[in-house]
Amino acid sequence: MSAYTCPFCDSQSDGAGSGCPFCGAPVNITLRRTASGWLEMPPMADMTRIQCGQSSVQIEGAYVPVADFKLADGDGVYFAHHELLWKDQGVSVQLSSLKGGWKRLMAGLPLRMLTATGPGRIAFSRDAAGETLAIPLRPGHTVDVRENIFMVATRAVQYDFFDSQVWFQTKDGDETETHYPAGWLLDRFSASGEPGLLLIHAHGNAFQRVLAQGESILVKPSGFLFKDTTVKMSLHFERPSKGFTIWRWGERYLWLRLTGPGKVAVQSAYGHTHDPGGRVVGCSSATERQW
Amino acid sequence: MDEFDRIQCRWCGAQSADPKQCPTCGAPLNTADLVSESGWREAPRLRDMSEFRFGNCSCQVEGDIVPVVETTLAAGEGVYFEHHAMLWKQDTVPMSLYPITGPKRSLLGLPHLVTLARGPGRIAFSRDATGEIIVLPMAAGIELDVREHAFLLASESIAYSYVRVKGLANILHGGNGMWMDRFTAKKSPGLLVLHGFGNVFVRTLASGESIQLEPGSMLFKDATVQMAAEKIKLSTGFLGGTSMNLARMTGPGRIGIQSMYHHHASDE
Repeated sequence: MSAYTCPFCDSQSDGAGSGCPFCGAPVNITLRRTASGWLEMPPMADMTRIQCGQSSVQIEGAYVPVADFKLADGDGVYFAHHELLWKDQGVSVQLSSLKGGWKRLMAGLPLRMLTATGPGRIAFSRDAAGETLAIPLRPGHTVDVRENIFMVATRAVQYDFFDSQVWFQTKDGDETETHYPAGWLLDRFSASGEPGLLLIHAHGNAFQRVLAQGESILVKPSGFLFKDTTVKMSLHFERPSKGFTIWRWGERYLWLRLTGPGKVAVQSAYGHTHDPGGRVVGCSSATERQW
Repeated sequence: MDEFDRIQCRWCGAQSADPKQCPTCGAPLNTADLVSESGWREAPRLRDMSEFRFGNCSCQVEGDIVPVVETTLAAGEGVYFEHHAMLWKQDTVPMSLYPITGPKRSLLGLPHLVTLARGPGRIAFSRDATGEIIVLPMAAGIELDVREHAFLLASESIAYSYVRVKGLANILHGGNGMWMDRFTAKKSPGLLVLHGFGNVFVRTLASGESIQLEPGSMLFKDATVQMAAEKIKLSTGFLGGTSMNLARMTGPGRIGIQSMYHHHASDE
């Protein structure tokens, strides 16, 4: 009988081990929820092991964790080539091209994925301090992930990508420039026939919350990490009150509005969102507020 | 614990009368080693304010996200370092250039200056990235190769040079550059301190055993470990394909890797 529901991945288990068998989150901890409702995603304990079918993965290290896979004969994982840290000689690596090559090239995304097939060991890590998050995908479960966050997924997880539909245009002289604050493309991962495991790397710390139907929250666009497919994204512009400060024309705050229902997650270390200022001449669905 | 009751540090091999911490490398002695199923051992995570000694000098490691190594130098004893790794020093600590022979460092992509500081006094070092301090006490006869820009400080008794990684492929594709820092304890022991980016893992390869690494992850190795660039061809079928470059490390000897590495471009 399943007595324990993991608050982070919603999987059910007997809760007997030190970590959730599906996502590795520690079991015997006090949940850390901020007064504003964000649930801190706890770092996996060093050397946490997650079983995925006949294969398993061990998470090693604390600052920049390594995902160390032990692949069973015939089992496979796929990943972008720059994620690879080391591998046994016996693990074969194959290349697979992705559709939409030109669009991916323009969006700064990898054009190809590599597939590693067992038996043997292969390990992955990112070149930034943060947390490795394991997202177990049950059949029928789909998650949307910010671009360049994906680390590695088991072969049972299907990969796709789509336009984020979050953009705005500014004009400088005769030049019109289009900006994608949440990335041009979003990665979409799903499981259909059998369950799979998706690993992503959050920069800094990660926090998640569940938005109710119609509930929305504004986040820094580059802080967005992943969301349920039911969560909608749009832009929100804010212009501060002038007061005693003289703001340049066109200066504004730029937010990503996430609207429920569904789960959303953010990361605490994020890149700068480039907004050159100037007049917005076009945008995707957006709201605006002048303080 | 009486004088005959000693604990051997599993990191540096020194014997310690203190059951909690190795006096030679600062490694905690009362915590279990963390070893992955694949055989990588995590470098010991030094506790904040850990202190250890080398010669008549001492080091204290401060902080844990971007740790600082603070050195108290005895009169006449010295450490050398890349000039940009120095965080602060007492103004009584004199500095001079460390004498280096060989090709001009600036032409090799290495820091132009290696600086020598002598005691008495205090001087502190840090790197500008999240990571771990790796303390490597070196017995006489030990020779270590270290990737460029990872060395934090070394005691004056350790000889310093830089070596060319053999093989044209290393130069063009290996991504580890033509040169690595080489530290040698010739007649007397000494101390070498590195900064590993992210987390650091170590394993010992048996003679002839090998493993393939992302070249940017290599942190240090015994001089006995051979390093060679290896190009792996990846095909997508008819006329399609590319390749990726890995470093093959072949034992015998110890290798250390860092989990936050500088990725080196492949053909894509």
